[in-house]
Order: sequence, then structure tokens, then C-alpha cells
Amino acid sequence: MTPAAPAETAMPLLEVRDLAHYYRQPDGSARLALSLNRLSAGRGEALAVVGPSGSGKTTFLHILAALIRPTEGDVAFDGQNLREMGRSGAAWRAASVGYVFQDVNLLPDFGLLENLMIAAEISGLSSGSASERAVSLLGRLGLADKTRNRPCRLSLGERQRAAVARAVLHSPPMVLADEPTASLDADNSRTVMSLLLELCVESQSLLIVATHDESVKKKLPRLVALEKPENTWHRGTPQ
Amino acid sequence: MRLRTTSRISLRHLRSKPLQTFSAISVIALSTALAVMTLLLARGFQQGLTDAVEPFDIVVSAKGSPYQLVLNTVFLRDAPVGNVRWRDYAGVSDDARIELAVPLAFGDSYRGYPIVGTTPKILRMRKAPSAPPWLDVIEGRWFEGEREAVLGARTASESGLAIGGRFMTSHGMTGAGGEHEEPHEVVGILRSVKGPYDRAIFVSIEDIWAAHEDHAMNIDGGRRGVTSILAHPISYSAAYSFAASYQRDARMQTVFPAQTAIRLFSIIGRGEGFLSAMACVAVCFSLLVATLALYWSGAARRRERALLRILGAAGRSLAAIAWLEGTYSALVGAVIGETLGRAGACAAFGFIGGATAIMPHAPFTPMEAAIPASIFIAGSIGGLAVAAFERWEGDELPLER
Ligand SMILES: Nc1ncnc2c1ncn2[C@@H]1O[C@H](COP(=O)(O)OP(=O)(O)OP(=O)(O)O)[C@@H](O)[C@H]1O
Ligand SMILES: [Mg+2]
Repeated sequence: MTPAAPAETAMPLLEVRDLAHYYRQPDGSARLALSLNRLSAGRGEALAVVGPSGSGKTTFLHILAALIRPTEGDVAFDGQNLREMGRSGAAWRAASVGYVFQDVNLLPDFGLLENLMIAAEISGLSSGSASERAVSLLGRLGLADKTRNRPCRLSLGERQRAAVARAVLHSPPMVLADEPTASLDADNSRTVMSLLLELCVESQSLLIVATHDESVKKKLPRLVALEKPENTWHRGTPQ
Repeated sequence: MRLRTTSRISLRHLRSKPLQTFSAISVIALSTALAVMTLLLARGFQQGLTDAVEPFDIVVSAKGSPYQLVLNTVFLRDAPVGNVRWRDYAGVSDDARIELAVPLAFGDSYRGYPIVGTTPKILRMRKAPSAPPWLDVIEGRWFEGEREAVLGARTASESGLAIGGRFMTSHGMTGAGGEHEEPHEVVGILRSVKGPYDRAIFVSIEDIWAAHEDHAMNIDGGRRGVTSILAHPISYSAAYSFAASYQRDARMQTVFPAQTAIRLFSIIGRGEGFLSAMACVAVCFSLLVATLALYWSGAARRRERALLRILGAAGRSLAAIAWLEGTYSALVGAVIGETLGRAGACAAFGFIGGATAIMPHAPFTPMEAAIPASIFIAGSIGGLAVAAFERWEGDELPLER
């Protein structure tokens, strides 16, 4: 790994402080779903976010992608506070984040290649370079003969690989992957992980993977452990 | 996102939910059709009535029911009122206030097509000073000699008669009155006048006199009777002064068919007002339905747009997609609806035209175009409402779990 420049050491790419997120319950109260005191990570790093089901891994990644705003605490990305992003959040996400969703989230009405090309256009990639890269990524993930298939005509594992290709297509500074190997066999799981790691080294991206998978954990140098919060209620709204 | 991509995405969304798209479009098409058809019926009927009456400024006849006179002379229905003398016609014709007077003699028919005895002066009649002549021979020629006949457009197409054909007229309208002895020969066919006279057969008034030498047409011992006189005044004031001069006449009356027809058809006239009100209601209803249909079909595709949003698509691209989905459906629905509505109205006009003497028709006007246009706008407002609503929901993303 290339040594980090002094400026980057002074200010890490990602900085999380006193994070807590509460979800509103059907009865109107708010229940703690995630709490994390401190985390900072730099370019080119690879982290595993682990913890039992319901410990807030997905919630954490959603917060990092500015898809939801945390109830408490701050997240700074490249010196920018995600909380203050507002409407510009979408543009920032398009340019800076590649997200592999736990439930895949491909566009159901479009073929795989079209899915990638639309994502590329949203990220501002020129269509010429994007289509070459999309085809090569799909090839590397064993989907060369499925580029025109719509998601409903693919297995879950194939969809998951396509989602990985879509997330890394524009070489974003941060790749968030939520259980990217959940539906994959050992072979495919290895392929996906080495692809993610390779690409992150290539484009010096920060890779954060939420996972239960022991073999995946082993591949990632840093571990962030989340604990399933006790029934903790939001201040002022007990019960 | 580029417009081409947003447009492609919205078209794909429409195509991928065919049932939803189809039902939204059909709801819009049907409500547009309903509004267009109601409006056209209301207008077309009015137009048909106006067209039928328009060529007749003043009709002079023997004293009798003005309604019967109008039904007979303008709409070619009902039995003729009594006759006046040729001398009376000459009096009208020579009147300084009258620019043109045309004599008509009714009473005979051929298989239900009324025979109209007249003179070539009828060719000088116009609906308006600047309009082309009311009657226009498009095939053959106008009658010149005895026993020659010129067919109205519908008579020509429906009766089976053609130029050179011969036919026997019969006395009365039903054909039950017995045939006259000598046949007529068809020498010409008229362009459609879009009115009851399309069902007429024109012959020389002298043929009528000849056929009736022994009875009906003979008045006061003179053998030259006239059923009604079409009079075209030189001016409005001349028309009223002319009519006033017949007010106290014991034998003759003057009628302004436009006024009489309105009174005669006052029930239909009220019907027309009712139809107009219906058209208004139909338009409002259609606008509401179009907006709602597109709002719902747009709202149903929310998940697809939410996926784009979590990829980082800009709010305005998503709004464009939602709006385009509504706009495309509204456009297709409005065009189909306009076509259906017009076709429906034309079918109804054909039916009315076949069953009555009036030939309703409704030329395309901006007013009619306003209906599909406003439906289209309502539809795209539906799309816009979806877009606005999603924007208003703001940053809380509907993440499907
Ligand atoms: N939108 C939501 N509304 C209310 N509660 C939610 C919502 N999303 C998640 N939760 C709750 O928050 C907690 C953490 O959820 P989260 O999805 O982050 O867990 P996770 O660690 O990703 O679990 P898993 O490993 O099963 O994917 C869970 O108890 C869940 O029920
Ligand atoms: Mg999860």
C-alpha cells in the first residue's frame, strides 16, 4: 500500500463520532438500533462491520451513504458533514459512494448492462468508457452471457454479483457492501471479495463490508464490531 | 440524467406494468371520448338545425299553421299547407323589398323522396351574400325541358336512380296516392347541401301543374298554384316591413323559419342546453379522472424511482420521470379519446341524419381541441403531483427492506 500523504493522516476520509440511531416504533416511541462511539478510516482501507443480526449494520451503512440521517452524532466524509448535506446528498452519493445493497436493489425493468449503464450515467460517467468497463466487470464476475437479462431472470447470487459490479463501476472513493456474499457459494464469494479488494486498492477506495461470513472477515484487515443494543429508548420518549 | 435516459426509463416503466398503464390510458381515453362526444352532439345538432334553416329567410304561403309550413317547406316533412296563386308569387317577386323570390310546389313523391317543383331561379339562392350558390349541379345539368328531374345528393346515392334513369312520381308523400302517367328522366345530380333538401327531387313547377291539371293545384279556377314562396329580402328592415304588410292579409302569411324552427324544436333546444351542461360536467369529470388515474399509476411506480434515488439520481430527474410517465399516458389517452369521441359523434350523427331530415355535423374547432388538450394537461399535472409529492416527502427515503 502506498504511504498516505501527511494531509490525509491529519484528516481521515471517514470520521464517525458518537453515532446513535433510533427508529420510531409503531406505538410512537423510538428504539435504539445502532450506537457507535468512534471510527475513522482512510483511503485504501478495508473494514468489516460485524455483529449479530439486528445490531444495526445495515442502518450504519445507510447512514454512511447519507440515505438516512442519524438521530445523534456526526459523520464526516472528506471533511464534509453528511448531516448538513440535505438535497445535495443525492449528488454526493452518486459521485462518492458505491453501494451493494443487502437486498440487491437492481432496477427490475432493465437488463443487467442497462442497470449498470443507468447507474454510470447517474454517477456522471461518460457512456463510452462506462460500457467498456461494465462489460469487463460483468465478465470478471461470470455474468458475460447474462448482460441482457432482467434481474427477475437471474439467480440471487447472480443479482448480487451484478450489484457488486454496479457499485464499483465508477471507482467511487467509498464502497459500502451489505452482505455482498450472502447468497454466494465459496468460489463466487472468493471472486467477489477479491474483486472488491482489488478495485479498492486500484482506485484507493475505502471499502466497508457488513458481513456474518467468517471467510470474508478474515480477508478484511480491520474489524468494527457492533453490538445489539439493549432496549434503550430515546431520551424523553420512554415507552 | 439526460432527458433521453429519463424518457427511456419512464417508457420502460409504462411498458413493464402493462395492465396498469392500459387501464390508466383507457380511463383517460374513455373520459375524453365522453366529453368530446357530448360536446360534438350538442354542437352538431345545433349546426344541423341552423344549416337546414339557413337558406330560407322568409317563406310566404297560404294561411295555415306556420309549424306545418316550416316542417313541410324547410324540413320536407308533413303535408303541404294550401296553395297560393301564381299571381301572388308574382306580387312577392315584384315587391321592391324582395331581392329574390322562388316558387315551390309540393305534394308528389317518388318512393318517399319529395318532388319539389320550382323554377331555375332557385339556383340563385345563397345562404349568405358571399356564399356560393346553395344548389350546385355536380353531375349532368339543371332541368330545362319537360319531365326532367335533378336529384339531391342523398336521393342520388340512396334511391338507385342515376342520370338517364326514368321514374314515375306518385301523388302524396307515401306513394299510396296513385302514380302519375308520364315518367320523369334524371338529368342532373346536386352537391350535398347538408340538409333536408339532399332528399329532394327537383322538377319544373310546370310539370307539377301539368300532372295536377284536374285537381289540387287548381285554385280559383286558375291552374297555376304555388305551395310556398321563398323570399330573400334586400335588408333586415325590408324583411320586417315586408312581413308586416302581410299581417292582416286574409289568405296569406309570412314566416321567418329561423324563429319558427327554434320554437318548433324548443324541446330539442332545451335538450341542446342540457347536452351542453352534460358536456361541461363530462369535461370536469374527465379532468378529475385523468388526474387521479395518472396520479395512482404514477404512485404505483414509486419503488422503481426510489431505487434510482438511492443510487443518487437527482430529484429533478426523478420528477422528470414521474412527469413523463403521466404525460405519455395522458397524451396517448387524449389522442385515442378524441378519435373515439369524434367517431362516436359521427356515428350518432349518421343515425340522426338517417332517422330525421336534419343532418347534424360538427366541423373540428379549437373548442373541441381544448378538451383533449386540457385532459393532457390534467394528466401531466397528475404526473407532476406524483413528482411533487415525492419531493415533498423529502430525504426520508422509502428504502424497501
Ligand atoms: N426502517 C426501520 N424502522 C424501524 N426499525 C428498523 C428499521 N430498519 C431497521 N430497524 C430495526 O433496527 C434494528 C437494526 O436493523 P439493521 O437492519 O440495521 O440490522 P442488521 O445488523 O443489518 O441486521 P441483519 O444482519 O439481519 O441484516 C433492527 O432491530 C431492526 O428491526
Ligand atoms: Mg442488514
